[in-house]
Amino acid sequence: MPEKTAFSRVKLVRTGDMPPPPTTPSAYVELGVTSPFSFLRGASDAIELVMTALPLGYDAIGIADRNTLAGVVRMHSAAKEAGLKPLIGCRLDLQDAPSLLAYSVDREGYGRLSRLLSLGKMRAEKGECELTLGDVAEHQEGIAFIAWPTDELDTFATELKRLRDALPSLSHVAASWLYRGDDGARIERLDRIAKRQGCTILATNDVHYHAPDRRPLQDVVTCIREKVTIESAGYLLNPNAERHLKRPEEMIRLFARWPHAIAATREFADALNFSLDELRYEYPKETVPDGRTPQQYLEVLTWTGAAERWPKGISAKVLKQLKHELALIEKLDFARYFLTVHDIVAFARSLDPPILCQGRGSAANSAVCYCLGITAVDPATSDLLFERFISEERREPPDIDVDFEHERREEVIQHIYGKYGRDRAGIAATIIHYRPRSAVREVGKVMGLSEDVCAAIASNYWGSMEAEVAEERAADAGLDMNDPHLKRVMKLAEQLIGMPRHLSQHVGGFILTERPLTETVPIGNGAMDDRTFIEWDKDDIEELGILKIDVLALGMLTCIRKCFDLIRLHHGERWELATVPQEVPDVYDMLCRGDSLGVFQVESRAQMNMLPRLRPRCFYDLVIEVAIVRPGPIQGDMVHPYLKRRSGKEAVTFPCPDPEHGEPDELEKILGRTLGVPIFQEQAMKIALDAAKFTSEEANLLRKAMATFRSRGNIEALQGKMVGRMVERGYDLDFAQRCFDQIKGFGEYGFPESHAASFAHLVYVSSWLKWKYPAAFACGLLNSQPMGFYAPAQIVRDAREHGVEVREVDVNLSDWDCTLEQGALRLGLRQIDGLQREAADRLVARRPYRSVEELRSRGGVPVHAIQRLAAADAFRSMGLDRRAALWDSRALKQAPDLPLFTYSEERDEGCEDEPARLPAMPLSEHVVNDYQTIRLSLKAHPMVFLRDQYAAAKFITADRLNSIKDGRRLSMAGLVLIRQRPGSAKGVVFITIEDETGIANLVVWPDVFGKQRKIVMGARLMAVHGIVQRDPDSDVIHVVARRLEDHTHMLRHLSEETMPSTLNQGDGAGSWRAPVQRHPRDAQIIPKSRDFH
Amino acid sequence: MPRLAIERWAKSSDYPPDDPIVLTVEGAHGLLIHAVTKAAAERGARPGARLTDARALDPALLAVPADPQGDGALVEGLARWASRWSPLVEVDGNGLRLDVTGVAHLFGGEAELVRDIKRRFAWIGFTARVAIAPTAAAAWALSHFGGDELEPLHVSALRLDPDTVRTLERLGLKTVGALMDMPRLALARRFRGAEDVVDALDRMTGRKAEPLTAVPIDPPPRALIKQEEPATHPEAASQALERLVPPLVRELEERKLGARRLSLTGYRVDGSVAVASVATAIPSREPKHLQRLLADKAGELNPEFGFDAFALTADWTEELGAAQESLVEEPSGERELARLIDRLTVKLGPRRVRRPQPQESHLPERASGWTSAVSSLRAKRSNPVLDRHVAPLLATTERPQRLLDRPEAIDVIYATPEGVPRRFVWRRAVHDIARVEGPERIAPEWWRQPSTARLRDYYRVEDQAGRRYWIFREGVIGDGRGGLPNWYIHGLFG
Repeated sequence: MPEKTAFSRVKLVRTGDMPPPPTTPSAYVELGVTSPFSFLRGASDAIELVMTALPLGYDAIGIADRNTLAGVVRMHSAAKEAGLKPLIGCRLDLQDAPSLLAYSVDREGYGRLSRLLSLGKMRAEKGECELTLGDVAEHQEGIAFIAWPTDELDTFATELKRLRDALPSLSHVAASWLYRGDDGARIERLDRIAKRQGCTILATNDVHYHAPDRRPLQDVVTCIREKVTIESAGYLLNPNAERHLKRPEEMIRLFARWPHAIAATREFADALNFSLDELRYEYPKETVPDGRTPQQYLEVLTWTGAAERWPKGISAKVLKQLKHELALIEKLDFARYFLTVHDIVAFARSLDPPILCQGRGSAANSAVCYCLGITAVDPATSDLLFERFISEERREPPDIDVDFEHERREEVIQHIYGKYGRDRAGIAATIIHYRPRSAVREVGKVMGLSEDVCAAIASNYWGSMEAEVAEERAADAGLDMNDPHLKRVMKLAEQLIGMPRHLSQHVGGFILTERPLTETVPIGNGAMDDRTFIEWDKDDIEELGILKIDVLALGMLTCIRKCFDLIRLHHGERWELATVPQEVPDVYDMLCRGDSLGVFQVESRAQMNMLPRLRPRCFYDLVIEVAIVRPGPIQGDMVHPYLKRRSGKEAVTFPCPDPEHGEPDELEKILGRTLGVPIFQEQAMKIALDAAKFTSEEANLLRKAMATFRSRGNIEALQGKMVGRMVERGYDLDFAQRCFDQIKGFGEYGFPESHAASFAHLVYVSSWLKWKYPAAFACGLLNSQPMGFYAPAQIVRDAREHGVEVREVDVNLSDWDCTLEQGALRLGLRQIDGLQREAADRLVARRPYRSVEELRSRGGVPVHAIQRLAAADAFRSMGLDRRAALWDSRALKQAPDLPLFTYSEERDEGCEDEPARLPAMPLSEHVVNDYQTIRLSLKAHPMVFLRDQYAAAKFITADRLNSIKDGRRLSMAGLVLIRQRPGSAKGVVFITIEDETGIANLVVWPDVFGKQRKIVMGARLMAVHGIVQRDPDSDVIHVVARRLEDHTHMLRHLSEETMPSTLNQGDGAGSWRAPVQRHPRDAQIIPKSRDFH
Repeated sequence: MPRLAIERWAKSSDYPPDDPIVLTVEGAHGLLIHAVTKAAAERGARPGARLTDARALDPALLAVPADPQGDGALVEGLARWASRWSPLVEVDGNGLRLDVTGVAHLFGGEAELVRDIKRRFAWIGFTARVAIAPTAAAAWALSHFGGDELEPLHVSALRLDPDTVRTLERLGLKTVGALMDMPRLALARRFRGAEDVVDALDRMTGRKAEPLTAVPIDPPPRALIKQEEPATHPEAASQALERLVPPLVRELEERKLGARRLSLTGYRVDGSVAVASVATAIPSREPKHLQRLLADKAGELNPEFGFDAFALTADWTEELGAAQESLVEEPSGERELARLIDRLTVKLGPRRVRRPQPQESHLPERASGWTSAVSSLRAKRSNPVLDRHVAPLLATTERPQRLLDRPEAIDVIYATPEGVPRRFVWRRAVHDIARVEGPERIAPEWWRQPSTARLRDYYRVEDQAGRRYWIFREGVIGDGRGGLPNWYIHGLFG
């Protein structure tokens, strides 16, 4: 389950080289600031704006995005860190009146502003907001307004009067000097209009970007918004670059004739007395019974839970840990938070049948969470780092993510809505940012490049694994990457990366509040009906200390639940996640063989190869196994050192700095648990902080550079810094370099230790199931599809290899799901492509059937469903093979399900005089049809039919690989199951092929790949000539491909041997086929392999 | 014509023919391959595949957008051309169906006819696969699947949808012959509606008729007169014109068309022709106007040995409904203007008659361009986005009536760095500035101008004598794009 760490927000962190916070108030305050959260309008983010405002001498800065508060938290946190006063407001674009800037004066006013925006958003489509002056008037108390004049001043005079009538407190009119030629006259006129209405003008520069050199990006986002190219944008663009943050003195100079306009900004800002810090979270109260404090209740629940978890008594170590955690929770007042999560988890458990759930992430570091049933990693068997979960210095609420069975998560969500009400529970937003590809594509489009060229550039610049190919392609397409126009595109795209693009709904992040949610943050409609989400993302929520809980979906939990149910039903045993027998040696033996198909997380080819080398013998080994086969440790070349140290071939030592630079054990503290090799995400980051002495700001820069895109210049600078400093402090250059490489890999994919621990628990549980109950396990896997790495065909094959009898789909014997029949696995109707659940349910309800016709007349199954069942060869129990059943099913007529019609029809058409003489279907064709309809065949493997030919050519079968010595040449052939080009493998392609006896793993080095790319990427049936390579430590066998052949055409003989070839006669136009209609020879005979790039 | 798209593309491009090029169309999930060159086909590219998939196999493929509309137009054109073999020609996808009943003997029999068709298609550069059969469905099957017998052909030769074909294959009914051997009733019961196999068989075997609908071919409106004797006097063409216009206008009226281009053709006795053509700015069938346009040019046609026939053809027409402008027949401004442009263009040549064409640019010299008057009149565009945003902006910016072709350098006294101008010298005359408004700041168009281009601050100034000028300073001090800024005059007001 590759899980991309989202673009993590960069927080401004004050450092020594920043100007000190302003001590004197500036004469002018900028209030008309548009940030990128007025989507596709502003071109500078909060940090850029704040870092520009600070040296210019501002002491406060406003934010007024269009009908949204989505960007205010960022402005709040950046301004606060820099020492500026953030003014929180928005720009209201109304349906029936000129726009207004609206700033919250106090908490109540903020609440009304938020409610007003929610009102406008709930009535409109996703992303829109519809408000009228009347709506604003109803919410005006506690909000300070500034009227934003229209371009047409003749009508503005009357409009202003309307605004004044509706909003008596309105007394400011915005005026801007924008170098339009008529600014003097215009402001003068505005001044008079304002005075006549008892208002005063207020200066603003209508800021859209922090500095003039951002104008190109501003123009580009305008073009993206209006869907035009830069060449045709014309007057949609502003004529100059003046809408930037100007120094206060400059504004005073421009408004020299109207000093009151400058003074007004100061007065306006001083009247605002609200900070987002006031939105302090109040936990929902209903989680605590009357008469107890939350802390008391939490302690009761914890000790009760502890008694259940450890019926034989709590060890001293655990006791100490629990007391320590409870004390810290009390000190930080987080008890209600734990109770809220506990409540949700307890609800899931209380259902019949209960929903499986498990906390992931750092919550696994908490013994209290274990006692409350939130996590399932026993603190008695591992060393917990509670401080990683809750830290006193961070004072942030803990982050508990809980995984639920993916098919039943909706029930949990509905419970949350039901219990806390839709007005108090909401889903967080995910801010979709421009990523390298989308940025290049959109900038390229605006700049007039074709999609093709954009794609070439995108893959060329950002270290795609196809980099070498992309450069070739760029050159082929005639692209000169030094062309100034292309360079400009690149530069603009780089600026655009990381800018917000739109808001979307988070997958499961809930926030819960005590007062109505709309008074805290505006809520808008999602794209789906009946879905609403708030305007802030989880970082914003965290920043303000609002409670959030992630309700996530995990397919493996569904699978495990189904397995537990089957075991209860067929074996009479009850199991739970936490009660599965721990540390069973046979389970580890199985994993050490690499026998892990279907097991959570460790079923990929890379993991399967690692298992026999790592030889896990205890739970913590699984934690490492989960974390080590990730791009981070692989790129950092940390895998081999770890394996060597683990097997005792290398001594465990810790690099240390020169004595004058620090403690010799500074790394031992970080790396002790992993034998001196950094494996977990936080270890690598901690090295940057402790060993390279990065400041938190530098560390953030590093994180951003890694997470967002691999802009080469940026990374090189950071690399120089980190490696340089470590070497300076006495570390080995090579070690420093490897640490950096590892961080580079972690940028995109990496596991923190606690997360790996949560996952490792599921690895263990699923392995145990596979080992003890292989039939139930395969059945659970098939019934939870789609999930995991393998297709049903491989799951079935693996089950059969483990001695499970698998039976075919049949109309009289199969349920919708796969089932167990006296220990055998009966495939379910769900395996049939295109069969609807509803039709299957009808079918099952009125069994048994004796003829095809009965399915329709008595079962009421739709004819097209019957035909699919026939094509899938599911009528064997009534003695009909596929062809006969299909022929019968074709004769059925779709008719209303009434007896009258049924009989009349039968009379009409009568019986056929002559019975049809259909040719018998050969077995090979049956197999092909099985693959086409249920993607697997129990009758035979397609290779069986080709074996004679291959055997004659001295090709060997997969089961003979074991008996072939290292370095010997061989030839073999098989169906391609999976192709992988992992980014960490430097262009090597891994292919898994399958024949009737088993699978073989091919390694294709880049030189072979370059020469035979087409075959590598395209063949469904592949022949390989290569050399056997055995790993002496693990007995893992690879076939290193020397030469490959595409034998896909051989498959055609299986199904079309009866057909004479008549094509390609006549005028010799080559192998042309009718374009409208795919020739059936093109039809997929065997489903495509699964490819991972 | 299996390779029509790629062959048409190859004719009009200058890529080397051996390049692996694929033509692409937009699909629901990205670009789809529409047609491929031979080189691309050899590298594994196939029509119908996704471009990204094909690129995964071979990243060297070059993708070029296809033009299905253009291809369609070409097929239509070829259909007309194919009427040389048969009066009944029908377009069928990228192919043509000709009804050659009773025609073949004109070309020396069916075999000769096939050879002739192939040869002529080859001459014009298109691959054609040709088959003659008693039914259209059979001809389609043979031309697409080869051979000269129907029975061995695969069932997809019946043009059934892919699902039906697959069902037939599963039933073991893989060839047309196998299908013919089945009882009709059994088949009819099992394949109905859109998958009617019996119907497809009947159309192939001729049990069921399948009529052709031929491409309609409208000749352009044309009037023709024949001289009883060859006319050799110079006014012959002009006189003929007077007699040709009324019938042509009648025909235009009947077909509700207006002429945009007219040709007067004189056929000389020696077999040569003389042609005079004119174009109009808007479609017209006004007799006097048309006659006046052609009159001069008609006079220039040289009879040499004499004309024995004249034709007046409206080669390019557009739809034009009946219109009455007012009761008293006073022509509207637009029409009058159009007529004036037509007459001026005929007299002076199309390049000399131009009209201003506003362009959307903040740079004044780019904003006011010129285009040919004849072609631009109809091409007014309306852009709702633009109207919403721009109309107010344009209302507030004032531009001078006279813009100099090229800004002229002037000397200006002004308060540095960005103060207003006080006095300027232009063409050696000193102007003391009495009033000034501005500046209007116009930044370079960064996407096309070099990064050293400087911004301009425009001022509207009035000198002591009340004359108004539009001057600008190029650059500001310290912008890092040059030394001291220069001043220019760019326009005159009033």
